[in-house]
Amino acid sequence: MKRIGNRTASDPAAERYRAGVLKYAQMGYWDSGYRPKDTDVLAMFRITPQEGVDANEAAAAVAGESSTATWTVVWTDRLTACDRYRAKAYKVEPVPGAPGQYFAYIAYDLDLFEPGSVANLTASIIGNVFGFKPLKALRLEDMRFPVAYVKTFAGPATGIIVERERLDKFGRPLLGATVKPKLGLSGKNYGRVVYEALQGGLDFTKDDENINSQPFMHWRDRFLNCMEAVNRAQAVSGEVKGHYLNVTAATMEDMYERAAFARDLGSVIVMIDLVIGYTAIQSMARWARKNDMILHLHRAGHGTYTRQKNHGVSFRVIAKWMRLAGVDHLHAGTIVGKLEGDPNTVQGFYNVLREPHNPVDLQRGIFFEQDWAGLGGIMPVASGGIHAGQMHQLLTYLGDDTVLQFGGGTIGHPMGISAGATANRVALEAMVLARNEGRDIWREGPAILSEAARHCTPLRAALDTWGEVTFDYASTDTPDFVPTPTAAA
Amino acid sequence: MNSVLKHTDAFNLEAAFRDSHVADVLEQLESELVGLAPVKTRIRDICALLLVDTLRKQAGLSTEALSLHMSFTGNPGTGKTTVALRMAEILHRLGYVRKGHMVAVTRDDLVGQYIGHTAPKTREVLKRAMGGVLFIDEAYYLYRPENERDYGQEAIEILLQEMENHRDDLVVILAGYEDRMDRFFRSNPGMSSRIAHHIAFPDYTAAELLAIADLMLDQMQYSLSAEARTALEEYIERRQTMPHFANARSIRNALDRARLRQASRLFNRRDASLARNDLMTIEAADIRASRVFAETPPPGRQGELQP
Amino acid sequence: MRLTQGTFSFLPDLTDAQISSQIEYCLQRGWAVSVEHTEDPHPRNTYWEMYGNPMFDLKDAAGIMREVDECRRTFPNRYIKVNAFDSTRGIESLRLSFIVARPQEEPGFELLREEGPGREVRYSMRSYATRRPEGHRY
Repeated sequence: MKRIGNRTASDPAAERYRAGVLKYAQMGYWDSGYRPKDTDVLAMFRITPQEGVDANEAAAAVAGESSTATWTVVWTDRLTACDRYRAKAYKVEPVPGAPGQYFAYIAYDLDLFEPGSVANLTASIIGNVFGFKPLKALRLEDMRFPVAYVKTFAGPATGIIVERERLDKFGRPLLGATVKPKLGLSGKNYGRVVYEALQGGLDFTKDDENINSQPFMHWRDRFLNCMEAVNRAQAVSGEVKGHYLNVTAATMEDMYERAAFARDLGSVIVMIDLVIGYTAIQSMARWARKNDMILHLHRAGHGTYTRQKNHGVSFRVIAKWMRLAGVDHLHAGTIVGKLEGDPNTVQGFYNVLREPHNPVDLQRGIFFEQDWAGLGGIMPVASGGIHAGQMHQLLTYLGDDTVLQFGGGTIGHPMGISAGATANRVALEAMVLARNEGRDIWREGPAILSEAARHCTPLRAALDTWGEVTFDYASTDTPDFVPTPTAAA
Repeated sequence: MNSVLKHTDAFNLEAAFRDSHVADVLEQLESELVGLAPVKTRIRDICALLLVDTLRKQAGLSTEALSLHMSFTGNPGTGKTTVALRMAEILHRLGYVRKGHMVAVTRDDLVGQYIGHTAPKTREVLKRAMGGVLFIDEAYYLYRPENERDYGQEAIEILLQEMENHRDDLVVILAGYEDRMDRFFRSNPGMSSRIAHHIAFPDYTAAELLAIADLMLDQMQYSLSAEARTALEEYIERRQTMPHFANARSIRNALDRARLRQASRLFNRRDASLARNDLMTIEAADIRASRVFAETPPPGRQGELQP
Repeated sequence: MRLTQGTFSFLPDLTDAQISSQIEYCLQRGWAVSVEHTEDPHPRNTYWEMYGNPMFDLKDAAGIMREVDECRRTFPNRYIKVNAFDSTRGIESLRLSFIVARPQEEPGFELLREEGPGREVRYSMRSYATRRPEGHRY
């Protein structure tokens, strides 16, 4: 340990804490020799320094501003074990193929964080630093949480395994649909859509993110009608069904009231929006676990900070935070649908949500190894512009543990909502059957669907209507690492 | 599956043999098992039969469903289990069993302790063996005529049913001492009639046992000194005449004990430095310390005492 | 009605060859497979009757098909399903579960509503078949 006192002009500690402005790197926020401890929280930022700002200094600044530093030297640092609390930028490397951008790796001591609080975690890591002037842009790309920290969170209220056991649905993705039009339907008409879709073969229907309690349909009316529809559909199919009742509201009190009503009506699931905030999400996760409810999270608003590659927070980090926070479902992209989603990047999100352990996987944008320490998995939800004709692609890309949400692809079916639901269910079951039989569904997919359509007119109609629809635009959020093509490929 | 060919088509046995990759298994059998010439001949005969049967099917000729159940008779340590494993592989490569694994059991795995216990036990084993070979070692223990209420009979009946009705699902190989198997088959004509191939495993000659020892030592990276080799030859001759002689298995045990003695010999003079060769070499003393030399008179030199 | 629990209930009833190849898929992954049957198909009836324990260490579907056959013969007019269990850490649950036999007639479920204060309704459902005692339902 350094001794305080005995000041002489050459004492390095005294020099360091003399009043004035120092470079962050000099203040100790850059330490190229630092080896991260197993108990450190790690973060990786993509930094774009202003012209003339050294990359290491910029990384140190990010480390400083997201931990103990302020713009000037303060003597009160010397009353603390400040060496420990100082975050340390320990590695800076240029981003491949992106001049002026750098990956900065920063380690944070575990003591900097309150146990079990996503709000505290995020206030530290993204609290102050994103508006920092010496940087043109800053993006939080990935984080690693030590097992000791992960263990302070309860994780998903239900988890994939228990959700499947509760629903008694195994071996295939679940099917859902968002009620459309999302605004304007009366409660009675809204429930009709729910009933048709569920009795036709879907497992879930869903409120959209902005369906709360509006003049055309107050929340209680929606809940009552939807639950009538859910229960009727259960009776005609003998299957467990659900409708994600969106309980998002102005206050926690309102949300608890709505969630309790959903529970009392026998719903298996409630829904919240990302915009309610991390603390509210954690509160709802705790409520959901206490009440044996599945908690669906719609990532409303995330596109404002996740989409651009040079600034904001990567969705994979949001996904990690939400796994800690404890939701059961999270929209994470479709790859083939109408919304943003590069295949590798989206598979990276899915792995973060579902796997018990993530190895480093640069091609899928995963920079750190992450052990989830027994925390349950989140069921990723694929939603937006997908249809039955893509079933082989969806199953290949996304696997079994996912909810495939066909909104337009169900409700817009030419033979009606129920037929739309049946088409999706038959397409899915036929594809899973074929895959398990060892067929190459990626190549034979369209043929498998056509075969299945021979005994299912609604599927035939769906394929005729949407068979050729694709959304083929370049993604903005793509991996920085691509595998080197080999001569054989 | 194979389409039916026209009668004018040529049938290429060589190609069928090559495509099945059975040659690899036969080669493996040749290299890992010393001697056993009559057994190897029988295995090749069976391969030929199956290959021709396959071609006959392709030619649209009548083929009776082949019965493939076998009995392997011979003394312990004569390679029955190893050959059964390779047989399972051969049957798999020729398409006569679907998976090619082998499940080896004895009476205790099949027969229960109380009423109603045997059938589920036997069925459980049969289910595990499906797609492969069920190898029942010392199969005659299933039959205990001295005890009227023995549950072994129940296991035999279930086995018979299975062997008759579900030939596609598994092949049964019964194994054991020759004389006892003969008695077993005489008392269970139903079983006997369902066994198509009886293969007798002869005892190894002394020279073959020595070759087996060499093979084993080679695998373990040991070698015999010249004196040790002579001692082992002598050991084998004596051991063969003793009770409980188990062919290759007895050789394996003898070598294991010789390794133990070699180790303690080296340990006793642990202050001396050792060469790599010392660690590898088994000396005559390591072999001659066996009780075999104490308990049997030296063959051909009756009465002479060991030094 | 047609009970649509299980992975493949929206497809035409699976043939034995199809059932067998699904079982092969499970065995290749090292999952234990079991057969269960019931006369009470209520979706909350978690525990169907086991037709023997889950079968471990099998290499070939034929052994399980034998059990399926036997179960169908013993209970010709019941729901029968095949389950596959995965013991991998973090899963330790079913990976596949599909119906392989159903009664000739499926009477379905009655939805019971108990009206509470306001417009609140408590729902429950019961299988029409379970009005008769066990063993006489289908």
